[in-house]
Amino acid sequence: MMVRQRHLALPVAAAIVAGCLAPLAVLVAFSFYEVEDFDLVPAFSFRAWGELAVSSTDWFLIGKAVLSGLSATVFTAILGYPVALALTRLATSGKGLAIIVLLTPLYTGEIVRIYAWRIVLGGEGLVNTLLQGLGVIDEPLKFLLFSPFTIGLVLTYNNLPYMVLAIWVSAEMVDRRLIEAARDLGARPVDAFFRVIFPLTTPGLAAGSLTVFALAAGEMLTPSLLGGTSGSTAMALVDNLFGTAFDWPLASALALALLATLFLVASAMAGLLLRFKGARAVMGRV
Amino acid sequence: MQCFTLNRRQMLGGLAAGAGLSLLGPMGRASAAVSEIVWATWDSNGHPEYVAAFEKVTGTKVKLSFLSSEDAQFAALKTGSASDWDIVNPSLNGSWRYIKAKVLKPLDLSKIPNLAHMYDVFKTTDKVKGEDGATYAIPYLWGLNPIVYRSDIHTEEPTYSTLFDPKFKGQLAMRDYALESIAIAALHIGIPRERAFLLTSDELVEVKKALIAQKPLLRTYWQTIGDLTNLFATGEVTAAFSWRVPYDALKDKMKVAMAKPKAGIMGWCDCFGIPANLSDEKVEIAYKFADYLLGADYASTIADIGNYATTSSIIRDKLSHEKQEAIFVDDLSVMQNFMWPVAPDNYSEWLKVWNEVKAA
Repeated sequence: MMVRQRHLALPVAAAIVAGCLAPLAVLVAFSFYEVEDFDLVPAFSFRAWGELAVSSTDWFLIGKAVLSGLSATVFTAILGYPVALALTRLATSGKGLAIIVLLTPLYTGEIVRIYAWRIVLGGEGLVNTLLQGLGVIDEPLKFLLFSPFTIGLVLTYNNLPYMVLAIWVSAEMVDRRLIEAARDLGARPVDAFFRVIFPLTTPGLAAGSLTVFALAAGEMLTPSLLGGTSGSTAMALVDNLFGTAFDWPLASALALALLATLFLVASAMAGLLLRFKGARAVMGRV
Repeated sequence: MQCFTLNRRQMLGGLAAGAGLSLLGPMGRASAAVSEIVWATWDSNGHPEYVAAFEKVTGTKVKLSFLSSEDAQFAALKTGSASDWDIVNPSLNGSWRYIKAKVLKPLDLSKIPNLAHMYDVFKTTDKVKGEDGATYAIPYLWGLNPIVYRSDIHTEEPTYSTLFDPKFKGQLAMRDYALESIAIAALHIGIPRERAFLLTSDELVEVKKALIAQKPLLRTYWQTIGDLTNLFATGEVTAAFSWRVPYDALKDKMKVAMAKPKAGIMGWCDCFGIPANLSDEKVEIAYKFADYLLGADYASTIADIGNYATTSSIIRDKLSHEKQEAIFVDDLSVMQNFMWPVAPDNYSEWLKVWNEVKAA
């Protein structure tokens, strides 16, 4: 039976591998090509890789992508844990409703959300108008919109549902008797969280973290339309190189370098999170 | 006098021949007629009502395929992923790369009679010609890219240097586009307009410094014209290098105006082009469409609805002065001040500078 089930998964696994590896193979090949008169000429040239190696701008933007992904991961984890744990305590019908509410932001398109944020955070927006109305501020807080703060806030908001869902699924599997035993043995709620709940939910945290990290690090539209003059991203540069510059070799090399860097950081994150004793207990062989 | 007689057999034969010819006629047209052509263009250039007259006269439906960016158009033509496009829309300043990449057909100008009505500045441009001397694109629609500004805040008409003025910190915006933004910075630091698109590496270094110094003054770099219109409407921006769209959209709602800097007016111009791989059966209708774009029907409709001028003078004298003013053809000397943004040979260096400025 198990063997049959594995066979059933093979076509899907093969499609995923092919869909992932084929474009990567193309990128690797293109990164060694040359461009002559807007034609991609097969060659074994290291020009693109050489330019990438010495470009401080490219590496700065790759580092910025990593930082953006990590900060969104940390903020969504901090905010997501209380929400996920609260969900586990709801009645079944309440859980269904709560999940729908949680996912509501994802039902609207990204552009709609972006313009909504502009209305909320703008100089004449809801927050500034409210604060001015209450007499808290005299002048609008300009940093609310078109700043690194905006990017961080919106990436956290956009990705929070993914983190909450992952932690919630993991938290539902925690045997509540373990928490009760910890409390009976004198553990304070915060100790019970850090010594029982947190270790046992680290697989969910790991899944949520990897998802949020990948989505936030690769985000282009939100930084571009809400980040103001600080909204440049490695993804936008890749887009620029493929399009405007028609420098497909350099675009391919940059895309591969970005991918490799994000893969390494994600692997390190996964390795770190799954080293917890609780994770090993849940995952078995980790 | 010869008497003309017709017997029954001849009569039937004649009727049969007539019937045959009457059938062949439409068939002949059908074989030449094309039921649909696909025009890849900007949404502002190709409203259905703009092409209705063409569809009525020719019986050929014009399917509009709206472009997301010129780069995407070029990439689609180059990679062959735009095989359904019959007519494309290169810009005047970008035509050279389509020509160099051999993605356009050379054009037979004798098939476009309305070329005779084109303004000289467009008729004589070499930007649409290849090294072989052939013409590969026809300019058909043009306009100016002004500085749009809030006239209640900027009491003096802005210049390009206004966009670098600390007095307006946090109220300014520039387009996220290397070509125009770098040229504007070049004009600001005193490089003459004849050389604004021909900067040396040393000049690019100076321009980069100016653009980095400008960054803290900017509210943002705008991405699309809808984006910029929104920025004006919500009070985030009071002056920006722009297209005319925010002015038209907001002039009845707030005090906005357009400035045409004396340092040089950035012009834009869209061209008609036929993809190199277009099938022969569609080429004739493509030429008719090119002629239509330079004709009176398209010019009247787009002037009336979109406030854009075609490159043809065919209806200019029939327009009211207000309409002439609105589409910038009231004073034709404006055409002497055009700066056509043309990507220079060292454009990759420009892009590098622009990316460095944005990442700084």
